[in-house]
Amino acid sequence: MWEIGPILRALMRNKVGAVLIAIQMAVTMCIIVNAVHIIVERKALMARESGIDEANSFYITSTGFAPDFNEQVTVQEDLDMLRRLPGVVSAIQINAIPISGGGWSQGLQTEPGAEHDGAYTAVYMVDEQGLKALDVELIAGENFSPTDVRWRERSQSDWPDQTIITKAMAENLFPDLPYQEVVGKTVYINDIEPIIIKGIIDKLQAPWIGWDILENSMLSPEKTLFSSSRYLIRTEPGRMNELMPQVEEMLAESNKGRIIRDPTSMPDTRERSYRSHGAMIKMLTVVMVVLTLVTALGIVGLASFSVNRRRKQIGTRRALGASQGAILRYFMVENFLISSVGVLLGAALTVGLNIYLVQAFSLARIEWYYLPLGMAILWMVGQLAVLGPAKRAADIAPATATRTV
Amino acid sequence: MLTMNNITKVFRTDLVQTYALREFNLNVGEGEFVAVTGPSGSGKTTFLNIAGLLETFDGGSYSLDGEDVSHLNDKARSRFRNEKIGFIFQSFNLIPDLNLFDNVDVPLRYRGFNSSERKRRIEQSLEMVGLANRMKHLPSQLSGGQQQRVAIARALAGEPRFLLADEPTGNLDTKMAHSVMDLLKDINEKGTTIVMVTHDPSLAKQAKRNIYVRDGRVSELHEVAAFAEEESQTTAKASNG
Amino acid sequence: MFSYYLRLAMLSIKRNPILSSLMVAAIALGIGACMTTITVNYIMSADPIPSKSDKLFYVQLDSWDPNNSADADEYSLPSQVTWTEATNLMRAKKAVRQSAMASSGAVIEPPGQDAKPYNASIRLAFTDFFPMFEVPFLYGAPWSHEQDQAREQVVVLSQETNDKIFGGENSVGNSLTIGGNVFTVVGVLKQWEPMPKFYDVTTGAFNEPEELYMPFLLKEELELPNGGNTNCWKTPDGEGFKAFLQSECINFQMWVELPDENAEAAYLDFLNSYAAEQKAMGRFQRPINNRLSDVMEWMEDQEVVADDARIMLWLSFMFLLVCLLNTIGLLLSKFTGKAAEIGLRRAVGASKGDLFMQHLVETGCIGLAGGLAGLGLAYLGLIGIGTLYGDFAKNMTSMDLTMVAVALGLALLSSIAAGLYPTWRACNIAPAGQLKSQ
Repeated sequence: MWEIGPILRALMRNKVGAVLIAIQMAVTMCIIVNAVHIIVERKALMARESGIDEANSFYITSTGFAPDFNEQVTVQEDLDMLRRLPGVVSAIQINAIPISGGGWSQGLQTEPGAEHDGAYTAVYMVDEQGLKALDVELIAGENFSPTDVRWRERSQSDWPDQTIITKAMAENLFPDLPYQEVVGKTVYINDIEPIIIKGIIDKLQAPWIGWDILENSMLSPEKTLFSSSRYLIRTEPGRMNELMPQVEEMLAESNKGRIIRDPTSMPDTRERSYRSHGAMIKMLTVVMVVLTLVTALGIVGLASFSVNRRRKQIGTRRALGASQGAILRYFMVENFLISSVGVLLGAALTVGLNIYLVQAFSLARIEWYYLPLGMAILWMVGQLAVLGPAKRAADIAPATATRTV
Repeated sequence: MLTMNNITKVFRTDLVQTYALREFNLNVGEGEFVAVTGPSGSGKTTFLNIAGLLETFDGGSYSLDGEDVSHLNDKARSRFRNEKIGFIFQSFNLIPDLNLFDNVDVPLRYRGFNSSERKRRIEQSLEMVGLANRMKHLPSQLSGGQQQRVAIARALAGEPRFLLADEPTGNLDTKMAHSVMDLLKDINEKGTTIVMVTHDPSLAKQAKRNIYVRDGRVSELHEVAAFAEEESQTTAKASNG
Repeated sequence: MFSYYLRLAMLSIKRNPILSSLMVAAIALGIGACMTTITVNYIMSADPIPSKSDKLFYVQLDSWDPNNSADADEYSLPSQVTWTEATNLMRAKKAVRQSAMASSGAVIEPPGQDAKPYNASIRLAFTDFFPMFEVPFLYGAPWSHEQDQAREQVVVLSQETNDKIFGGENSVGNSLTIGGNVFTVVGVLKQWEPMPKFYDVTTGAFNEPEELYMPFLLKEELELPNGGNTNCWKTPDGEGFKAFLQSECINFQMWVELPDENAEAAYLDFLNSYAAEQKAMGRFQRPINNRLSDVMEWMEDQEVVADDARIMLWLSFMFLLVCLLNTIGLLLSKFTGKAAEIGLRRAVGASKGDLFMQHLVETGCIGLAGGLAGLGLAYLGLIGIGTLYGDFAKNMTSMDLTMVAVALGLALLSSIAAGLYPTWRACNIAPAGQLKSQ
């Protein structure tokens, strides 16, 4: 009924064409599955949340230059002004911006002394409005009080005696304790300087999206006097774009002894930080689509040729009583057999390339179900591609058998 | 001109060996017009392929134009075909993409003539078959008889010593077949040796000598001294009917 | 004969226009994809200073934490040096040329009432920086060694900065207020954009060069802020800027020019003995481990070629492979379709060699057409990458003549490689079998 025997024997007599298609399908599958794997991985990276109210937050830099520039006074005035501005939910001075690419890191350890290892964390210097401006939730302990917040000079190296850390950091430092119990614990910064953990927040990402401990962050109750200040401003929903130029102008007008620069929205920052991932996803998508098209067209081309070459044979079969369906089926089954060899080889190649990518570029392994999925897709592509030529074959008139040439 | 001694040709498949020719002996002299006949599967075509250096053989010896061609390599055989042999086929085998001029040009190109020499020969040979005015036409624009004339022009353009024809009128109607045969006879008159393979005895009669092949051997020799025009016409008609 | 083959090739291509364009398209896509990624990789891995990249060496010293190495493995070295090493090595002056350097930033107050102050990036360096890296000058010249030592407030402007502040005029001798201090302009650079920005890749190998250049020791004098990355394994002892400079924090790069291997060996010896001296003073508590990397070694070490670019390179080569397999299949079909013609040509005296050449020319034509189309696609591909990556890839998406030649060569080579088997099959068609009508 399915004529697999004769089809196979006919294929064996014209091995090269079949082998070419099989290899092509194998390599195509190998690329597509690995590309999908990379895309899924990157999409997962891009889907991570920074923890802050990205859609409604922006930041802006103020750099003093005038000889009489008083940073402490300016920061206080700026913050008062910003916090009074209608539409602003909260504004803080902060030393670094989550997921922006630049920031501070420090090691915290549970035992004092240089000989002990610690866990690294991103440091955000904020005041008591930090939680509100960053839109993070305090899940244990307490927020900083205004009196906790100190001023930090540029080359100052000591630390305030309390901190709020993320849940991830708490679990990193005290893997055996539920995070609630971490509140009140003392950890050490700079090997020996004790800090008490005052509170735990749910989630706040570090500035470096490539960091493997991205959710290790700590808040330090400080305002900085580094001559350059960055303000993070969280607005009411939907008002960010309107407030950005307003804030820029307001700050620039209020004090001529400094420059106001680089107002940047969080969505822009995210786009910029993740741009290369986004670009990779788009490139891989294009490669996959074009590749599938090329392979499909190749199958169409070869099948059409093989149909043309076998016109007479097909006519004869029809004359001998083969139905149109039988002819159609012949080509579909033939393609299915070739595809099967191709996708099996493809599965091996896919795993091979993945092993290479894992080793050379520290990508993750592919999930097992990618293989059957990829195979099924390639089978389908093959069947769809051969459908046209097969239909044309089925349309060959039985009378062709009796015609010469 | 052509001498075959005990030529043997075996086709091997996994299961069987088939002798296409066994101890095949033939001698064709300069200027002869020989027809080789025989039933289907007798070995006519194998003979023709070997005679035309298109195929190698397994045993015996073959000399053409005084040269032993048994052991020539592919390149030398190509050269030999190009310079000394002209082919005419049942299905003409013109290249459909090339116009008449370019079709006749094909063997001359491989001969390495310069362009003016090629042009001269092409025009001359097309002139001879009466198609000089249609040089720019494509084969598909011609009738079968005209196409075969072009094929003959192509065979003659290199001025071969030896012409091999394989059922040259097999795809033609009577009238055209007749004129093609006339043309071949003309060419033979001018000194070119012709060996024609046909399964059609009436056509064979028009040659000067007939050879009958059966089971891969030459089994009978017919000498045909002369022929009458009327006779050939009636036999041709009969064979086509 | 070549022109004859060329004509036959054209006829043959015209005969199956769909098949032919399928082949051209397949090759074009493969070449286009490959060339796009090759170009990006080529630019990323380009030698930024070919004339002397093997004579310039990046200095690394293991001044790191006795308990932990600077990076993943035990022998990892810190990627920058401390202020102490930077100034000590400069004082020792053991190389032909040498410059410690750092990046920084300050507010420029351009002269004139309307001009707005803005923040400018600064490269702090010694005067050797300019001849060492063959930095071209439009006006003026580098400051002198004496000015380096005297910590004079002199500045060299990038061409862009000079255009912006002084309208492109020769500004040598003019004053400029930078970070509240008055500087004298001593030189203006000619457009200089090394790709990659090899002399400091800490914040991105393809960033723009800095806008201002000034003597390194002004860092201490004017307490200029740290640019780039600062890493410390130990907190500075004490407070203040001086304490930071004297700390084990690394924020500085050190380059030396060494003319030959002897000089290189001698300099490494010097570094090792320097490290031993420091050991005696209680620093450098790790095993002595110093390294000199020339420009290309340093680029390799810093993995200047992005992983994504390399992954895409691999994938695009596999893509090309698929396209070529495709072409092989189509050519096989096509040449099989020409069996009768091939048989006829063989019969009338064409040798296998003749037919091989004829079909090779045909494949070559298809390859060349594919290559040209591929070049166009690569151009589009690079524009595409340009839009996808924005200013990240600003300087990475232009093709030079070498790349064009590589593209065409690759196209021709790969199409001929693809054509070899079909061609070989074609010219081995037994002539006798094709001449009988079926």
